[in-house]
Amino acid sequence: MTIDKVKARKQKANEKQQNIIDILKDHGAKVYGDLDSGQFPKFSIPSRSVSNIVYDKKLRQYILGNSAALRSSRNSSQLRSFTQLMWLAFFANRLTHEKKSSTLRDVYYSSQAFEIEFEDQSESDNIIVDLEAVLSKPREDFHIFPEERSSIFGDLNIEYTIPGYEGKTMNLSNHPDGYAIGPSLTTAELVDTTAEIVIAIEKGGLFTRFVEEQVDKKFKSIIINTGGQAPRSTRTLLKRLHDELRLPVIVLTDGDVYGEHIAMVIKSGSANAAHLRELTVPDAKWVGVWATDIEKYKLPTIPMTESDIKRCYDLQSDPRYQEGIWKKELDVFLKIKRKAELEAFSKYGLTNITDKYLPQKLELAKSL
Amino acid sequence: MSSIKEKFNQISPSEFFYRNRDLAGFSNPTRSLYTAVREFVENSLDACDQKGIFPDVHMSIKAVDPEKPDPKPYILTVKDNGPGIESKHVPLAFGTVLYGSKFGLKQARGMFGLGATMAILYGQITTNKPVLVKSSPDGKIQDEFELLLDIQKNKPVILKHTTKEVTKQGLSVSICLEGDYAKAGAKIKDYVYETSLITPYATITFDDPKGEKFHYSKIVNEMPPAPTIIRPHAHGIDVETIRRMMVDSQIEIPNIDDIMVEKVRKDLGLTKNNLTFSGIMDKAKKRWKTLSRPVRIVVSLMSFLKMDFDKLNKIRIDDIDVPNKKLFYWDFGDSQSKFVDMDSESFYYKQMIGTVQGETLTTFLTKRFQRIGSSTALKFVEFAGFKPEKRMGTMTNEELVKLSDSLQKFEDFLSPDPSCLAPLGEEPLEKGMNKFFKPDFCSVIQRPASAYSGFPFIVEMGIAYGGEIRTGGPHVYRFANRIPLLYDEGSDVVLKVVNDTDWGRYKVKGEPPFVIVSHICSTRIPYKTVGKENVADRQEIERELRLGLQFLSRKLAAYMSKRGQADMAKKRANLYAKYLPLIATFSTELAGKTKEPNYKKLLEEEIIVDDR
Repeated sequence: MTIDKVKARKQKANEKQQNIIDILKDHGAKVYGDLDSGQFPKFSIPSRSVSNIVYDKKLRQYILGNSAALRSSRNSSQLRSFTQLMWLAFFANRLTHEKKSSTLRDVYYSSQAFEIEFEDQSESDNIIVDLEAVLSKPREDFHIFPEERSSIFGDLNIEYTIPGYEGKTMNLSNHPDGYAIGPSLTTAELVDTTAEIVIAIEKGGLFTRFVEEQVDKKFKSIIINTGGQAPRSTRTLLKRLHDELRLPVIVLTDGDVYGEHIAMVIKSGSANAAHLRELTVPDAKWVGVWATDIEKYKLPTIPMTESDIKRCYDLQSDPRYQEGIWKKELDVFLKIKRKAELEAFSKYGLTNITDKYLPQKLELAKSL
Repeated sequence: MSSIKEKFNQISPSEFFYRNRDLAGFSNPTRSLYTAVREFVENSLDACDQKGIFPDVHMSIKAVDPEKPDPKPYILTVKDNGPGIESKHVPLAFGTVLYGSKFGLKQARGMFGLGATMAILYGQITTNKPVLVKSSPDGKIQDEFELLLDIQKNKPVILKHTTKEVTKQGLSVSICLEGDYAKAGAKIKDYVYETSLITPYATITFDDPKGEKFHYSKIVNEMPPAPTIIRPHAHGIDVETIRRMMVDSQIEIPNIDDIMVEKVRKDLGLTKNNLTFSGIMDKAKKRWKTLSRPVRIVVSLMSFLKMDFDKLNKIRIDDIDVPNKKLFYWDFGDSQSKFVDMDSESFYYKQMIGTVQGETLTTFLTKRFQRIGSSTALKFVEFAGFKPEKRMGTMTNEELVKLSDSLQKFEDFLSPDPSCLAPLGEEPLEKGMNKFFKPDFCSVIQRPASAYSGFPFIVEMGIAYGGEIRTGGPHVYRFANRIPLLYDEGSDVVLKVVNDTDWGRYKVKGEPPFVIVSHICSTRIPYKTVGKENVADRQEIERELRLGLQFLSRKLAAYMSKRGQADMAKKRANLYAKYLPLIATFSTELAGKTKEPNYKKLLEEEIIVDDR
């Protein structure tokens, strides 16, 4: 690793931080100016109502439309939430300056030190999303992170950027339980890797199996446990692995409609995060378990519940499920009305999934 | 009629009242002390009202022996600056029962002036002490009497009478009576407080036995005009009352005795004893216009009988048969009934008819009722189906009922003359309420005069809200003829009307700081009980109360919604005062400045943005 490269990385990280600080400062200056000139300050917040969420085919993700709501301090019924938003910007600014991170729950409690009251955490969570929308930046950028529940394992060298660890490096194959994907990892520099692919897997149990079976070495891969629906920090990391290290991403889920959608969210985002654009890996590939695999591999199945079936119908009207394997597999799920879990392969031996199924799917992925 | 020259009449023995003192409110020491206070204070206020004097009433209650436990003897003294009572009337006014000046149809606090005498009587019975009366009608000489009542004879016993020179007019009455201030104290204090509320033109001072002083100064400098005595109103008068008024309107056939004969002689100016019949008639004709009615009747009868005074002495008039024009009499000499025919063409006959048959209906109406002129009387007579010249004396029972019914139904009578009433008036009431309750909002109304059963009445009401009024309202203060009604609230018509009101509709909720004052003025308040504490729910009174309260409630509702808006604006202002400084602090740090922006302008700005 050359010194130039390190410098460049540092600079890049600083730039990103400076960028968010600049945006916050702009907003602060605007509010300051309004107050000083006898005007009631206001924010324009892109509307996140269903009617304003549209699918952008070019970006291959959901985005917000043009409608925006005005939150004005002049309106006494909005004054409180305006102040909350203003406080959050102030708080985010401090976090970013001090390079400290905070969880959603932290935010809820921190507010109380500033005489800002939130009824409950869901109210403070909503304000965080408001700020994301105003800044068009994910909360991770201003150092607010969700609870961690997903993990990573594989030959990847990283260099921390968080205070106290700056410059420290780490290889992510050193600990067999994997590494939790938290703020320090998401913000770390991705230095280098021998891996050629990223395998995102839905379940912790299978993640452990994959590590035990040395899937990382056998298939030169980085293994990521998404822990169900992938958290945004994990999606951010996936995107960075793909964009910065040019690694292809494949997704392995349960053979049901929810699994299919976990893969879709990694690929093209969720409606919930339609106001953000840095969370998707449009080239990510869903390799299984497909509905057609159930028949093909003669997997033990369980019948779909009514809510499973309803979910199928819901997704049928989603524009992203109108073509390719997405549409095809969804139709088959609806037809057979049965589903299979990743563990179903254990019927044919514990290593069946890594010995037989995975190689076939990796091969297949190349042609997807 | 408008003269308020007092007429004193002796009516009935004190014995009856001694036996029935419970009726007058002297049943036990607690109640008696309270009633005595009321009677004397009300007498003082009434006396001042009559003469247009701003009352300055000083009341004191002192224990004869403060160490003794209640009930015990107290000395009650009430002193006023009123017209006093003429020296010669004092013994009778304070030493006999039912010697009052309050008869006639006009509003006064008490009906008979009887209560004060009852209090004196009660004091005398329980302590055997005389009443001490000091009276100075002219402000120069004061008569001081010590009196006892002779209950059997209903006569005053003057123990002592002195006079002295003074500089102030007024009356002071002091009695010693058995009382229980420990129990009656709260009630008496309430009474004094509420009395001064409804009498804002009076100064009232009360020295209580424990040495506490309660002083309520005059708040307004105008007195309501004094009431006058008036005739009854046609609406709502009953058959019995008409019958009594008819008797009043007729002069009965006079009893021709020595006294009457002497009177006739005197009036005719006859000095000689045995003037002939024709001589008498000549004299009478000459002097006719100056003769009184009884004398005219005697003369008329003599003209038909053709008798002189001697002969007249020996008969008794039995009947005057008007339809048959016959005059029946009993002849003592012959011991038999005789009659003479009356000449219908005679001058005297016409006089007789007028007397025996009473007034014509139209005269009866215009003379005996208030607010009926001759044209209204004629219209009414036609409405009721009578002839205008119908004589009252010829009315059968059926016709009387018909007349009474028609009087109720006829709608063109003018509304009752309220001049006999003395409402407080809107301005003094409002001033009084503002001073007493110190509210945020106050509104009053005086309803137009109305009548129940021929008795006129006026309802005055006031509403006060907020300010220093305690919560838990509505607190209702009831008054009748400027007397506070303190007890038996439950069954009172005012309470009924207040409780029937859905206050939520008028934006009054929860336990509001809220006062309602009602004042009913009438020549006769329809009390439910002799205790004079609650007013019966007469339909006409209830209606006026309801209308009055509705009017005030609407005003209150308007105020409440304004107040709601003001509260809202205040809340909003508080919101800005809380949040704008925070926004300023946050923006200062965000913008990287050190000095806070000047947001004060925004705080001062009237915020008119609607929330919705």
